[in-house]
Order: sequence, then structure tokens, then C-alpha cells
Amino acid sequence: MDQHPILLVEDDGLIRMDLADVLSDCGFDVLEAANADQALALLESETTVRALLTDIDMPGSMNGIKLANLTASRWPECRIIVISGRYSPEQGKLPDGARFLSKPISEHQLSCMLAELGVIASE
Amino acid sequence: MSLANPDCGKLFRDLDWSATPLGAPNTWSVELRTLTNVMLGSLQPMLIVWGPAQITLYNDGYAAMCGQRHPSAFGHPFRDLWHDIWDQVEPIISAAYAGQGTSMDDIEFVMHRNGYPEETHFAFSYTPVRDPWGTVLGMFCACTEQTAYVAARKAERSLRERFERVFELNPGGIAILSGPDHVFQYANEVYYSIIGTSREIIGKSVAEAVSEVVRQGYIDILDGVYLTGTPFVAKNLEIELNRGAAGEKQNRVIDLVYQPMVEDNGRVSGILVQALDVTELRAEQTKQELLSHELGHRLKNQLAMVQAIASQTLRNSTDLTSARARLSDRIAVLSAAHDVVLLGGIGASTVTQLVDQMLSLHDDALSPRISVSGTDIKVGTRPSLSLALILHELATNAIKYGALSTPEGRIAIGWEVAGPKSDRFKLVWTETGGPPAHEPRNAGSGMRLVNAGLNGTADCKVTFSFEPQGLVFVIDADLEGFQREH
Repeated sequence: MDQHPILLVEDDGLIRMDLADVLSDCGFDVLEAANADQALALLESETTVRALLTDIDMPGSMNGIKLANLTASRWPECRIIVISGRYSPEQGKLPDGARFLSKPISEHQLSCMLAELGVIASE
Repeated sequence: MSLANPDCGKLFRDLDWSATPLGAPNTWSVELRTLTNVMLGSLQPMLIVWGPAQITLYNDGYAAMCGQRHPSAFGHPFRDLWHDIWDQVEPIISAAYAGQGTSMDDIEFVMHRNGYPEETHFAFSYTPVRDPWGTVLGMFCACTEQTAYVAARKAERSLRERFERVFELNPGGIAILSGPDHVFQYANEVYYSIIGTSREIIGKSVAEAVSEVVRQGYIDILDGVYLTGTPFVAKNLEIELNRGAAGEKQNRVIDLVYQPMVEDNGRVSGILVQALDVTELRAEQTKQELLSHELGHRLKNQLAMVQAIASQTLRNSTDLTSARARLSDRIAVLSAAHDVVLLGGIGASTVTQLVDQMLSLHDDALSPRISVSGTDIKVGTRPSLSLALILHELATNAIKYGALSTPEGRIAIGWEVAGPKSDRFKLVWTETGGPPAHEPRNAGSGMRLVNAGLNGTADCKVTFSFEPQGLVFVIDADLEGFQREH
């Protein structure tokens, strides 16, 4: 099974660092971005990103919801999880198939949701 | 003939008239005899005052008004009867004797007819009685006591006034509309304050007086209430009213009740309007909701931050004892940084305060080893928590491996607004006099936390230089993100 990376988008360096560690521990390759613009640049340069894990509230030209919708339309194969401490997005704002996790998130929650979306690390 | 007036009829028959100025009844003029017959046959209170001596005759109805003066007043001068109100009675009896009749609807007397002062009201007419040659012989009066009627009317009026006072004291706006065109009959002060204090509305229809509500559909609602008799109740209505000082329109939010006023015959005669201006209240509620939402958001983000710190601490520790100590230190630093935010108010933290906080924990005020130089730069809440943590981690590292691990070592901390556009925040941490600095083979949790940079900034660079004289650390971030409140 080929291992495509997960893209983690979070403006808080500490939280991003720790989530990256958690994902690495689960066996994923992780790409990190501090905002939507950096994330888009990575999506465009990488051949395949398996899943996008993004915060909503971020500085820059777009927030996590816009990034999720753009990703869903341009890279339909990419699974999407949106994370926030602020919003519980209403139905219809997130693209079809996207999931929402409320901060702070547990390792267990995250790995379960990834498995649910069919994103499983290769051993 | 005196069935109607048994009491006064008997008095009339028993009195020795020849001892009075009128003389015996068989000597009386035809006018006096006729009037006496009419009076003693009538159920209506009547009075005759006759001759220059103003001798008084009356029937049982009038006797009731005389109270305890009856029966002694019968056959005596009029003045003896009404001596206590003579100043009021004298002008009209004199007018009657002068040929001038008087008719009054409501004359108020304070009478002592029952042994105590009593307010009474009469409708009466004093009519001069003349002989065929035009000379006034006396006065005839038919009267009606209205005390009970006036009292009832007064009670009704005071009840009405009481209601109006209640309406005026009501915290909500109240207006009374009448008829199918909804004409304003009454509006309290609060109602005026809602629609605009200087407007004239009484006697005008709603469509005319508050014309801006027509196109907002309120006349249709009023028509519906008037026709069906069904009340209209609504909350949080957004309404546009020309209530400004110059009649300019303003948007308000009101709670509104249209209550039909139903007559005894079941027909709707008007509408009672109750309006409560809840604009400020709702705005306050919205603000409160936003505030609690914002608090929840901050709390969740901070829990996520603590979660990351705890996870990083445990991940990079070799044993639980040291992990526990480091974790509780880090949480204490965050908590102290929070105190700075809370004490000064959101957005009031400064770099100086955060540096002082670190010094109080890691430096000895009596023989200081850390020198600081920098201006008071404000820090947003999120970056202030990161900066406090970074300073703490650098100091902890210096105590373990750097300048503070030997007695000679010193640290200089300097910060400034930097960059050609003065849009960067730059802090430099310089260690000297301690052991030479070496890049560690594995970054510990402290280094990793420092490397995470300043939370909230868009572009933060962190550099470590491991020099022979000691560590030099530089953090360089965009000032806008560093100072913004998130």
C-alpha cells in the first residue's frame, strides 16, 4: 500500500506540532501548514494528499471551511476533517462527506474518525 | 290629598298658620293655595318660600334633604333652614324675589342634616311666583338631589384616573385605539417614547399618525384584530419608526400585543395596544451570547494548548517524576500569564510584564544575573501565553545547561519593534559567561515548545545559535499578529 501524506493545517504552532506527532505515531506521513495559503501550495505541489485535517479559524485569505470546500471540489479523493474550538458548522457549510471535530481532540477520536473515512496507515 | 306626603301633610294640617306671617290658609292667595296643593301631591321634592318673611313650606321629598332641621324648619323663614350655607343660598333666593329664576344642574352643599358634615349635590330651579299684576309673591322650587349620582360619577372618574395612572406607570407603551380606523384615544408616555416623543397622534388614525407602519403591514394586523376579535401577540418584531428628533426613521425591536376591547354586546369597539421596546435588551442578550460563545472558544483553545503542552511534556520525558514537575511548572507559567491578561484587561499585557514574570521566578532580585532592555510593547492574549512559555523554557534550559548553570554566567534580554517598516517584533536572548553552547542531539520538550513559536502570529521565525560564549536565541514575528486580539 502506498503511503500518501496527511495535510495538517493549524495556525497554532504548539497544537500543530502535537497533532503532527500524534499522526506520525499512528503511522502517517504528515505535511504541515500554518494557514490555508500554505496548505493550497502543498496540495498543488503534492501528487496526492490522502486527507486534509484543518482548523477553521486561521489568519490569511481563507478560513478552514473555505479551504475544505475548495479541496473537496478540486481534489475529490481527499478526505476532509475540520477542527475548531469555535464553530460547530451548520449542515451544508461543509462539503459532502467532510467530518467535524471539536477542540480539544483526543488521539482516540482522531484515529477513529480517520479509520471511518477509510484513511488507515500502512504498517 | 297628602297620601304622597304623609309627614309634611300632617305638619301642614297641624300648624297654627294664623300665628305665622302667612296667616290662616283660608286667607291665602290662590297662587299659594294652588302651589301648596301641587307640592303636597307630588313625589318630587318641592319647596315653597313665600312672602316677605320667606316662610318655608316643603314636602316629604324635600324634608329628606333637610335632615335633622326637619320638622322644626317647616313654617319658618328660609334663612333659619339654611343658615349654615346662607352665603350661597341668599343670592339665588334674592334673585328669585327680584324676578330672576335660577336653574342649576349640580350645586354642591356641605350639609349637617344628619348631624355630621356631608357633601351633597342638587339639581334645582328657583322659580319666581307672581300675582296677576306681576308682583313676586314668593318662590317655587322643584329639585332633585344628585348626591348619589354625582358620587357614582366621581367614583367612575377616579377609577378612570387610577387606570390612567396605572397606564402611565406601566413600563411598557400603552395606547387605546377606537373604531374601525383605529383612532388614537389615549397613549402613555412610554408609548410616545417608542414612536417618537414629539408626534401628535390623539384623535388621528394610526394610518395617519404613524404612517410609516402602513407599508410594514401593521394596519392589516389591526384590521384583522378588529374584525375577528382575536388578539395579536408577537415578540421581537423589527419595526421602522420615524422616531428620531427630526422625524428620521430608526429601526427598533418591539414586543407587541393588540388586544381587542369588546363591548357588552360582544362587538369590538377598539384595540388596546401594548408595546415594549426591547431593542437594547435584545442587543444586550445578543452581546451576552457572543461573549459566552467567545469565552467557550477561548477555553477550548486553551484546553487544546494545555493538551499539546501535556502531550509534548510526556512524550519527551524519560521519567514520570520529572514530567510531572515540568508539566506543573508550565501550567503555572500559563496561569501567571493569564493573570496579567485578566488583571489589565484583554489586550493590556506587555512584553515587560511577561519578562518580569519570568525574572521573578528564575532570577535573584538581590544579585540579578539577567539584564533586560526593551520598550513597553503590547502583546495580544494568544502570543502573550506563548511568549511566557518560551521565556520560561529558555530560562529552564539556561539553569540546566547554559549561563545560569555556573555562577559567572549572565543573560541579556533585549526586544524592540524592528524591520525597515517597523512591523516586526524581535526579541534577542544572549547568554554569556557560561559553558559553550552545543546543539543538542535530540531536542527536548522545552526546545520543541520554543520552536512552536508565537501563537497568533502569521510569520514567526525562531533561531538558535550555539556559540562558544553561550546560546543566542532570536525570535522575530510580525508585529500585527503579535499585538492582535483574536
